[in-house]
Amino acid sequence: MHTEYKYWYPYISPLDPCPPIKVKSYNTPPNLYLGFQPPSLPQFQPREALFHGTLWPALFSPYPNGREDEVTNE
Amino acid sequence: MNKTMPPEFYKLMEDIQAVDFVLVELSLYLDTHPDDYEAVQQFNYYVKQSKELKKQYEKQFGPLKEYGASYSTYPWSWDDVPWPWQI
Repeated sequence: MHTEYKYWYPYISPLDPCPPIKVKSYNTPPNLYLGFQPPSLPQFQPREALFHGTLWPALFSPYPNGREDEVTNE
Repeated sequence: MNKTMPPEFYKLMEDIQAVDFVLVELSLYLDTHPDDYEAVQQFNYYVKQSKELKKQYEKQFGPLKEYGASYSTYPWSWDDVPWPWQI
């Protein structure tokens, strides 16, 4: 199962005058891992699909906004 | 006394939105999978359902679309409340 967010830790120079950004993150929704969509994937019911934002559970993601504690919202 | 819509208005509107969303998803899917027979069948099934739901809605609550895309009630009422953002 893929993770919704990936993190990396930039190099912090001792000469850097500004307060360092210790961790950076980027969102990785499920469609990145699906490639060409195979036919007849399982589907949501119409009403569920409307509230999930996609017809196929395999492509559903809540799109969380990253880990608050780590990510500095610049 | 301002006008209030009956509960079946909201139920019907939600059904229409759900079916139309499925149609949007299937259209996008079919753009890249033109020869997926099962998806085309499902698409046509939901087109039929969408038309029936809209017909039912328009019989009860008046026209959905303008300039001849929907029948009109008597008297002329397409500019009545609730507008789409007022629902």
